[in-house]
Amino acid sequence: MFDGEPACLVEMQSISKAFGTSKVLKGVTLRLRSGSVHALMGENGAGKSTLMKILAGVHRSDEGSILKDGKPLHLLSPREALAAGISTVFQEMSLLPNLTIVENMFLGREPLTAGGGLDRRKMRAETAKALAELDLKLDPDQLISTLTIAERQFVEIAHGIKAEASVLILDEPTAALNAADVDVLNRSIRRLKAEGKAIVYISHRMDEIFDICDEVTVLKDGQHVATRPISDVTPHSLIAMMVGRELSNLFPARAMTLGQPLLELTDFCASATARPFDLTLRKGEILGLAGLEGQGQQRIMRSLIGRFQPTGGTLRLHGQALKFPRPGNGIRAMARLGIGFVPEDRKEEGLMLGLSVATNLVIALHAEKPAFTRARGLGAVVQRMMDALQVRAASTTIPVGSLSGGNQQKVLLGRYLARNVKLLVIEEPTRGVDIGAKSEIYGLLRDFAHAGGAVLVTSRETVELIGLCDRLAIVHDDTVVTEMPAADATEHGILAAALTTNGVVA
Amino acid sequence: MITWLRSGFSTRRSRHGLWGVPLVIAVGLTVVLTFGTDQFATRENLFNLVAKAMPLLIAAIGQLFVILVGGLDLSVGSVISFSTAILSLDGPAVLMIPAVFVLAGLVGLINGLVITRLNVHPIIATLAMQYILLGITRILRPVSGGEVPGIVIAAVQGNFLGLPLPVFWGLFAIGLAAKILYGSRYGLHLFAIGGGVAAGMDDAARNYGIRVERNIVLAYVACSLFAALAGVFLAGRIVSGDPNVGLLFELDAITAVAIGGTQLSGGVGSVHGTVLGAIIMVLLANGMNMASISPFLQTAIKGGLLLAIVGLQSRKKMGL
Repeated sequence: MFDGEPACLVEMQSISKAFGTSKVLKGVTLRLRSGSVHALMGENGAGKSTLMKILAGVHRSDEGSILKDGKPLHLLSPREALAAGISTVFQEMSLLPNLTIVENMFLGREPLTAGGGLDRRKMRAETAKALAELDLKLDPDQLISTLTIAERQFVEIAHGIKAEASVLILDEPTAALNAADVDVLNRSIRRLKAEGKAIVYISHRMDEIFDICDEVTVLKDGQHVATRPISDVTPHSLIAMMVGRELSNLFPARAMTLGQPLLELTDFCASATARPFDLTLRKGEILGLAGLEGQGQQRIMRSLIGRFQPTGGTLRLHGQALKFPRPGNGIRAMARLGIGFVPEDRKEEGLMLGLSVATNLVIALHAEKPAFTRARGLGAVVQRMMDALQVRAASTTIPVGSLSGGNQQKVLLGRYLARNVKLLVIEEPTRGVDIGAKSEIYGLLRDFAHAGGAVLVTSRETVELIGLCDRLAIVHDDTVVTEMPAADATEHGILAAALTTNGVVA
Repeated sequence: MITWLRSGFSTRRSRHGLWGVPLVIAVGLTVVLTFGTDQFATRENLFNLVAKAMPLLIAAIGQLFVILVGGLDLSVGSVISFSTAILSLDGPAVLMIPAVFVLAGLVGLINGLVITRLNVHPIIATLAMQYILLGITRILRPVSGGEVPGIVIAAVQGNFLGLPLPVFWGLFAIGLAAKILYGSRYGLHLFAIGGGVAAGMDDAARNYGIRVERNIVLAYVACSLFAALAGVFLAGRIVSGDPNVGLLFELDAITAVAIGGTQLSGGVGSVHGTVLGAIIMVLLANGMNMASISPFLQTAIKGGLLLAIVGLQSRKKMGL
């Protein structure tokens, strides 16, 4: 395909994968060459991580095959992938906090002395070498729990870079690193490249992609869009390839008029290093926090309910200045002020799956009362919410876990609507929800806003934010970098804004 | 040595726990007892204390293994009574002594398998085993009696190199446990499993290729074997089998482990801390006896002490 390119080391052929009914990958092909860094790009949920987890032996593909040196590979576990020379640095931290760097580096494959004991000297020497190659001045005998997040990330990388591995997958290795750290990492990547290893590099940072990568493959909605040499693309053409879905009439009409300011944040600092920003949310408005995944949207949202302590700023609700809630009493304090919080993961943090639909609907009403008041069934409230939300359930006494995702989400929403909240803070309003229920949920949120409420929402699906919201605040590095009316927003514009720092495409 | 000592006191994070706290308490108690009483620093009293401390120390070291993986073994006391009962049965020593360890190993194996394969909570699994074994022991020996092989008695009562023999039992148990927990791959894996459980990363150890279930089962086997060793020692001391000698022993063992800075959530703890924990408990009992404090009040004081010392060395204080 390209002149003078080295031979293909690993080939993933027409890989398809579905989780339940949602097809995450549809016939994706990826070719990795020795001595080459291959960028894998796409929006959140495009299937990058799933594709790499298949290569790392974490998931198995439904269709398609993996060839290494022309021979088929059947990877059933991370161990087998490692044995086949495929090593991975995942986003999620997996280091054990109570072990030292040395111990984590060799866990599960410790060298032994002739006497059968741990060969700590050899482990320490090799660890020191691996750390030195990454310019890390860390004591190998330090416990992981004493390291900063960036240091842990480096140790994780050092752990993943194994001499015997020929393929190295780096899934957002720089998410926790600053620019100087990234330089150090890039040097290591170039060295590994010179050694003839094939490297997959997943990152949302454009500058890194153009700095370090040789080729780029773009995925969109689980499909292969294009594979190009990096010299043939520009940041803008890459973004254009990553976006471009059609907006349908999935969404209700936007607000015509807005009311008084309901929530006002001034000089808000989500973290110690973040730039302060102001944010105002008016009655009748749906405001979306957009941007790349994990840029601080969640931190900002959860500061409002006391799950994060902002480092500075003031909060006004209905024009009245308030203290930021603290972790212990945040939810109750904010609930009293009329704020409802719908968490991202309804199964882990939201619903009590084993309890009935009715209980889940009225639990917030009960929670407002003293602990020993009689818990009445509140049948009328339940019925009103079931009708208003059009929850499809055989009865209100069945466990909420037996409902479909869409109906579960409606029940969770109903919990707060039943309580007459004024402000809804929602993470991922339609995660794992089918298209019909999505449309209904958008309608419910718009009706809520129309009746004088306000909604603060974040979502991994940019299209959803554009369609649902009145206004978007683009978040990058724990701060709002710009705002735009949702009606004028495009995926391209949002992505460009999120990737742009100081006015230039980074 | 100095850095090692410092790690026990400072808030520098270590997975051995803040064992400086029990060290200070143990030394403090010794000083108070030496200068505050006439009877403490006598040869008879000290030899007697060593002999008293040993079964607790050995059982606590066994308990440490399962606590490090976030488990708990409540069958320890029953294993001890059971071991004395087996030894007091009329049989040749060459047969009975190995039988004690084989049977104890089997008990640990069942504990471990029930916990890992049937997913029964450790407290329930070992509590059931405590009852089962207590019943069997009382069938074998309803009241104390019988004769323990002479070799066992000889190995417990007497001196060697001017030191009481129990000291060597203790050194053996400590050395063996330290070798396994600090020097072997298996020991490191126990810390890894416990650390993962405590940090809410249940699959972390597994993802490193560690055989989690098998290692946990082996920890319960080790715990039972140490309990059997404590049982054999006790049998040599009391010269007969006693179905009640191990009663509530598991709770004292857990107390000693906890006082020694080991975290019951798993992954943090040490052999030396556990030894100190056992020593503190024995010193305290000895001191309170000499001060003629009522045994009922002694029990209450023991409970208060447990709370106070464990409060001083919470996981959070260590930053782990």
